[in-house]
Amino acid sequence: METTASAKRPALCAMSGQVDSCTVAIDAMGGDRAPGEIVAGALRAVDELGVRVTLVGREEEVTPLLPDPLPSAVSLLDVRDVIAMDDEPASAVRKKKDSSVVRSAQLVKDGAADAMVSAGNTGAAMASALLRMGRVKGVARPAIAVVLPVPGHHPQILCDAGATTDVTPEWLLQNAQMGREYARVRLGIDEPRIGLLSIGEEPGKGDELRKQAYELLSDVSGFIGNVEGRDFMHPEVDVIVTDGFTGNVALKTLEGALRALANVVFGLFETTDEMKKAGEVVIPKLLEAAETFDPDLTGGAVLLGVDGVCVISHGASSALAIVKAVGVAADCVAADVPSRVREAVASAG
Amino acid sequence: MERGQLGPDDVLALIREHLADILEIDESRIVRDASFADDLSADSLALIELVEVLEQELGERTVGFSFDDEDLADLETVGDAVDYVVARLNAGADS
Repeated sequence: METTASAKRPALCAMSGQVDSCTVAIDAMGGDRAPGEIVAGALRAVDELGVRVTLVGREEEVTPLLPDPLPSAVSLLDVRDVIAMDDEPASAVRKKKDSSVVRSAQLVKDGAADAMVSAGNTGAAMASALLRMGRVKGVARPAIAVVLPVPGHHPQILCDAGATTDVTPEWLLQNAQMGREYARVRLGIDEPRIGLLSIGEEPGKGDELRKQAYELLSDVSGFIGNVEGRDFMHPEVDVIVTDGFTGNVALKTLEGALRALANVVFGLFETTDEMKKAGEVVIPKLLEAAETFDPDLTGGAVLLGVDGVCVISHGASSALAIVKAVGVAADCVAADVPSRVREAVASAG
Repeated sequence: MERGQLGPDDVLALIREHLADILEIDESRIVRDASFADDLSADSLALIELVEVLEQELGERTVGFSFDDEDLADLETVGDAVDYVVARLNAGADS
């Protein structure tokens, strides 16, 4: 259900003029709810967005989920392997070359698809995209850009949310350059405000990595200095730059804190008869507001720095999450995000 | 690259060329004693990128040339990788 809360989310398929010519390879076997929800989402994306999709998965598991006759905008690529959520990403991608996620990335490399979407093993999706599509020239390591909701305001981008854990100051600079360009595309902001995640706002705060990165980021247009954990989902900063380890910890901390807060708030309405009665009025409004934080509506994370479009949806993705992820993928294709990242990094020297 | 037996210097040159491209660093930093992790900040994915490109290039020279995934953790320095590749090439040439 679309609500006023979701209206504040990034526009999906804002550049839909080119969407109908876009083909998205979808890892049909990736995710906790695969292939059912993934296939359902792919079919909805065809109907609602006008894209073409190639479902990449085991034929015997996917075909029963497809309508007969198959819409002309839907095709199926049969593969034998699946990379599990707990497989070690790099070695799994090397060993399982006929897996749904690797073959999805291969379709993009071969030009048979314009973008890929996976809700499976994040590391495997990243490794597949990196090894098959290659890196954007000038980018040392890729980064995952996640869109975070900011209540009552346009969203915020976290870059990196988990792609590269051990980084150099120069790589944090590239995260800033890539995140800045992605914010311009995704959020439609000409001059995004960029903050470096640290443990204090003053330039001298943080570890040696952050101090050196601060110096490098000082030359980036829109850099506002250090930001802190409390600045997540806050309207003062548009792009939060960090390493993949810290970014992933921060992201999961936000998820956990929001879940705990929701448990406390909703638990209150079970305490007394009076509160239960109040809940009948308040809970529907709270649920509506909570949609702001629904990960199914964010459209997934985009892997920046690879020479193709790769959207990674969360592991428990529903059909709706896949529709949104496909929409983001189509937008990234239309905006030619890989080229824009290449130009952004190159022009920054 | 011309066909023929590759020696350690040739393999080092090959690794330097590809690793410099992968890590976006100057080739001069890539010396035999350099640690992938500590000196070059090369993570496991960067090493896999290197492995794949070497397999592709050297596979044309020595049929079936490949890295054994179980051996990758033992390759801590550039020199380790050079020696490993040379040994695999020689093993392939002898078989």
